[in-house]
Amino acid sequence: MAAYTETDVLVIGAGAGGGAVSKRLSDAGIKVVCLEQGDWVHAMDHPHMYDGWELERKRSWSFEPNVRKFPEDYPVTGNTTPYTFTGVGGSTLHYAAAWPRFKPVDFRKGTEHGVEGTIDWPISYEELEPFYAINDAEIGVARRTGDPGNPARPEGWGPASRGGKVGHKMGSGFDKLGWHWWPADNAILTRTKDNRLACNDCGFCLAGCPRHSIASTDVSYWPAALRNGVDLRVNARVEQINAKNGRATGATYIDRVTGQRHEVRAGIVVVAANSIGTPRLLLMSAQQGHPDGLANSNGLVGTHLMYHSWSFVDFWFDEPLEGFKGPEPAVLYSQEFYDSDPSRGFVNGFSLQVGTSLGAATSALGTNTGNLAPWGAGHRSFFNEHFGRHALIYVQGEDLPVRTNRVTLDPDVKDSSGLPAPHVHYELHENDRRLVEWGQQRAREAADAAGGVIDTTTSGIGGIDGPPPGWHIMGTCRMGNTPEDSVTNKWNQTWDVPNLFITDASSLTTGAAVNPTSTLQAVAVRAAEYIKRRHRDIASQTTTPSNADAPAL
Amino acid sequence: MTDLSVTPRDTKPPLGGWLPGIRLTETQAAVLNAAADELIPGGDGFPPPSEVDVISFIGRYVTPSGLEPRWFPFLGEDDFRARLDGLGQEFADATPVQRVTVLEGLERDEQEFFTRLRDVVYHAYYSRPEVIRAINRLPAGRDYRNSPQPYGYSDVMDDWDDELLSRVRGTYIRTEEVRRVAIPADLPMCSARQAREAGEN
Repeated sequence: MAAYTETDVLVIGAGAGGGAVSKRLSDAGIKVVCLEQGDWVHAMDHPHMYDGWELERKRSWSFEPNVRKFPEDYPVTGNTTPYTFTGVGGSTLHYAAAWPRFKPVDFRKGTEHGVEGTIDWPISYEELEPFYAINDAEIGVARRTGDPGNPARPEGWGPASRGGKVGHKMGSGFDKLGWHWWPADNAILTRTKDNRLACNDCGFCLAGCPRHSIASTDVSYWPAALRNGVDLRVNARVEQINAKNGRATGATYIDRVTGQRHEVRAGIVVVAANSIGTPRLLLMSAQQGHPDGLANSNGLVGTHLMYHSWSFVDFWFDEPLEGFKGPEPAVLYSQEFYDSDPSRGFVNGFSLQVGTSLGAATSALGTNTGNLAPWGAGHRSFFNEHFGRHALIYVQGEDLPVRTNRVTLDPDVKDSSGLPAPHVHYELHENDRRLVEWGQQRAREAADAAGGVIDTTTSGIGGIDGPPPGWHIMGTCRMGNTPEDSVTNKWNQTWDVPNLFITDASSLTTGAAVNPTSTLQAVAVRAAEYIKRRHRDIASQTTTPSNADAPAL
Repeated sequence: MTDLSVTPRDTKPPLGGWLPGIRLTETQAAVLNAAADELIPGGDGFPPPSEVDVISFIGRYVTPSGLEPRWFPFLGEDDFRARLDGLGQEFADATPVQRVTVLEGLERDEQEFFTRLRDVVYHAYYSRPEVIRAINRLPAGRDYRNSPQPYGYSDVMDDWDDELLSRVRGTYIRTEEVRRVAIPADLPMCSARQAREAGEN
């Protein structure tokens, strides 16, 4: 074993949660080491300037690590392939950057219905709101204020991304129905910030951004964190979080370049390795005193996995919509059906989000739902009638936190360092199926109200390929109210190990019906603020305090 | 001395494909062009694929011999050449009707290879500058560009309609207003709350 490094706080993972924590702690002069198993992505590694840009979406920028097969990726086995990215920035390197907030009701779903594993969050929207605001300012959100369907939000760094013809068309449809809708908040610059350029509406968002307009964490948080002196170590794959006498002592990692093992010792350890990687790492860290994995004495690590429930519905219209322009994933959203109404036959609700499309090849190859342009004699007419006339409405439902939807370790499959692969099991609950079926009908109503639909296809329930696509991976180490119902307390502090924190989407108690990165990052900033102000308390704790007994900020 | 004319053949798929791309024989090129022309016939102002050099694009994305075709479009050089050779000059010289018959058989009997071939031809064709210019003659494609960057579309992008937005109505449930709702009786799994209330757990 090489000589060890000592630091105040060790952060594992340089993505949305790890980047935010590293920056905020280092703002206060706290010494931070961050370990990231991937590497930096260079601006020229994005495919936006190549003739094969659409092809690269299925190849070097595939959402699925099992398809991408980069050496820094770890394989994922089971019945779904979650969409993750490995590198400085984590999965924000290929995310949509849609930036909605959870609504107040989302923090009280246990009170509202408690179906399956649903519990209340130990905090409220109001408690989290200041940290949403801090985080929005850090990353530079584009926003139009005034949405009557949500609590007031502060002005964005810039105005909302433009809606284009798609936004106007679908907004008109919602308007005719009298349904709520609003331009989407996006973590995409519409005004230059630091060294990041404003978006130029290039229409290709889910593969990062060479202009750095999209707030991937490598360009939003890391430059400042590095200026603060954070010791970010890339190609550093953590093998185990170490613990002694009930407290975390640091971690052992493998340098993926040299193969050598190193140890970092720290007073506080923060895990932010995404909702698959974090439970994987905790389960891999079984050791003396923690036979079932770290922070897992109640067996809840890896459980209550959430993905959102999905359906994609593609519509083609009889007029040009030019969906190859503008931020791709979320032009506008409707939350008309967000709240539970059991008369529909299910609890929870959904957002209807309007998205755009990519380019000509994607149009020919079926857009989002496999509506393929036929080869041969019928190709030309199909393409000419479909290209540039498309709008996507996707039903994004809140799925129930089902305990048996979970991450475990695969005993047979290893990553390139010989560490066990995570195994994922996920099935939609009947409640979620009903929700999506009902939502598909509402999507059709909205398109019909917009007028001029000439063709439509749907992915069915569960996204593109049958099983729900795991864009949004949440809940596997959730925060909660007691050591019996959760993995962490209200400050993201694991119940078993008082100086071990979890600050990624695995800590989300419920998944709401909106994209989660805004919320997971706000939660991470809040936890960092707590660590920053209370690290002396944390250092002296031998047991994790209850939510009632934990120190306040 | 570093050879700048080739792409490193390491463990990642090179962005833009491999350089140099594979070079097909004259017959192989003729067969591929003929197949592409049947998959996407020219017309209505669109050129046939054989006239816009889809071959050089595809050549960059066929995994070179000696490497496993691990990445999309999952075409390996040796197998790809062998399949083109199998079709042979006879396919290249055949009538369009005969070629379509052959391709239909391929689609039916060798679905995986056919899908890979079709997908890479679609990607290649719709990346060609001549095809982009043809798309620009469609009403919905007049502004379409070869690649998203460096120009983007800010110069030709419509903004929101303020009048439309002024009519939006909406509401939300405030934290203090959250109340229990009735759980649909026919949900097949009982809720954790019901289980607790029934004293089962």
